[in-house]
Amino acid sequence: MMNALESRSSDPVEKANLSTSLAVRLEGVTKSYDAVPALKGVSLDVADGEFITLLGPSGCGKTTTLRLIGGFERPDSGAVYVAGKNVTYEPPFRRPVNTVFQQYALFPHLSIYNNIAYGLRHARVPKAEIHRRVNQKMALMEIADLGDRKPSQLSGGQQQRVALARALVMEPKVLLLDEPLGALDYKLRKAMQLELRRVHREVGVTFIYVTHDQEEAMTMSDRIVVMNQGRIEQLGVPEEIYDNPATPFVAGFVGDTNLVNGVARECRAGRATVDLGVMGVVEGVCRYEVDAGDQVLVSVRPEDVRVTPSSESSIIVRDAMLIGSSIHLTMVAGDSTVSALVPRSAAVLPGTPVAVNLVGPRVCVYAREQA
Amino acid sequence: MLGIPVIAWMAFFLAVPYVLLLLQSFWEAGLWSTLHIWNIQNYTAVLFGKSLAGNIYLPVLIRSIENGMMVTVFATLIGFPVAYLLAFKLRKRRMLVYTLVIVPLWASYLLRAYAWKVILGNNGLLGSVLNHIGLGNSFLSNILYSRAAVVIALTHIFTPFMILSIYSVLERVPASLISASKDLGVGRLGTFFKIVLPLSLPGVIAGATFTLGLATGDFVAPILVGGPSNSMIGNIIYSEFGATGDYPLGSAIAFVLLAFIIVLVAISTLAERREQI
Repeated sequence: MMNALESRSSDPVEKANLSTSLAVRLEGVTKSYDAVPALKGVSLDVADGEFITLLGPSGCGKTTTLRLIGGFERPDSGAVYVAGKNVTYEPPFRRPVNTVFQQYALFPHLSIYNNIAYGLRHARVPKAEIHRRVNQKMALMEIADLGDRKPSQLSGGQQQRVALARALVMEPKVLLLDEPLGALDYKLRKAMQLELRRVHREVGVTFIYVTHDQEEAMTMSDRIVVMNQGRIEQLGVPEEIYDNPATPFVAGFVGDTNLVNGVARECRAGRATVDLGVMGVVEGVCRYEVDAGDQVLVSVRPEDVRVTPSSESSIIVRDAMLIGSSIHLTMVAGDSTVSALVPRSAAVLPGTPVAVNLVGPRVCVYAREQA
Repeated sequence: MLGIPVIAWMAFFLAVPYVLLLLQSFWEAGLWSTLHIWNIQNYTAVLFGKSLAGNIYLPVLIRSIENGMMVTVFATLIGFPVAYLLAFKLRKRRMLVYTLVIVPLWASYLLRAYAWKVILGNNGLLGSVLNHIGLGNSFLSNILYSRAAVVIALTHIFTPFMILSIYSVLERVPASLISASKDLGVGRLGTFFKIVLPLSLPGVIAGATFTLGLATGDFVAPILVGGPSNSMIGNIIYSEFGATGDYPLGSAIAFVLLAFIIVLVAISTLAERREQI
């Protein structure tokens, strides 16, 4: 895990020369629909060439953010920059940005070739060049032999490829993808995730990707923006988001976690020791000001919970579920439940009293008002 | 099996009368009754005229088709923007405008045509307004009993059908297609002509077929606001079956009109099939 962390830059924006190679910058953007706030002040810098994912539950503001960058919405306040230029009040057709829509939005009355050539034709690009560029993108998306078909004759996966080719042929600075894989079945979605990574590598365009699927965000992104209720909860590389979630919300939304109540004993230099009652005392990363005696919330990933049978313990295994190579244990500890992911060799039968040991660098401590 | 009552109904009330009408169109009118003498003189009379009177039928038929075409053009020009507003622009007031479009359909057709008599008449609404603003002697003040009055009344009657026909198609155009077009660098006008208009064509074709067919065959508006010199083919058919009592000739005229409408519908079906996605 640590090696993977080092192989990706921890902050691409800082690494890049700030003024020249920012693909997108949002400055304190707010947006309400009929007095219902959708975005409550979002600021975000996206580096050139980055694959960044906006992740969050429905209604968190991720799609609104995307539409603001695409020009389909105007912010109530704040500013939107694309490639260093303020485009806050520019319509979509004057932005160097293209979108892959959720339902692909292919023009049903045009052939695949004409769908892809649509934007270039309108821009009065010479015919020979249109032909070259459209064919190049069709080859890139592996749909070279579909040019004469109509969208309705294509499968979902093929339509997805056409939508990508149609956006990429415009050679945008930034490509916006609004849950593009949402309509595909599981296997196809997995294949398209790899495809998108490959295309991103090959074209080098900045990808801003919206999804509610945390697994998808993890596997594809250079960085993830976790959003909730119109705000950014955390921004970081996938490992950082998973290993060191900034808020209990992030901890719960990205991957499985146990959120356990406890009392702080000591807090020093970003680490806190917490008394969890029957589950013992645990130490973890703490980003907040916590005093001894404060009520706190501790996040522990199931794979960081060690389970050993112990007849003296009051923690009882309630359920053991097989998940492929490991076993998912659910345990009752006082008035809370704890889950653990253990290797099959360490399986424990339901009803067994066990001792739990919370270990690893991923234990995080939050002040209670953060919950 | 469930279809049998419907088929029987259609056979009895639609197919049988049409067949009888068709047979009749090849017979001859006698002094007091129809003579079952087979010939095609009714059709030659419609298409080439009777020897003495000259052809009075074909010019009226052509004028009726012209009127129908004018009504279709005007109804499209008025109906399309309204349908577009309904489908894409109005949000809160959509129901209100939609209701305003269909309310006239609840009133009797006759009443709506008659209303134009009141509006366009000599001391009617239009005339008195024009008098007030000093345009009392303009051509508009004497518009009743003219071809223009017929076209106005029919346009008013058929525009709601046109609106509904186009709206039903526009309503199904996903907003994301318009967003996608703008996203690809095409402005409002370009998006309208390249995306919205082509996708709305099936609705325009359906509405135009409906309007052209019904307006061409109309006979109420010409009676009420057209006057004797502006009668349409429907009035001729009506009088052949009424005052004149020449059922065979009336049937023949009706079948010439029907042939025109069948050709029209066939063309429109082909056109719509080509537009099928």
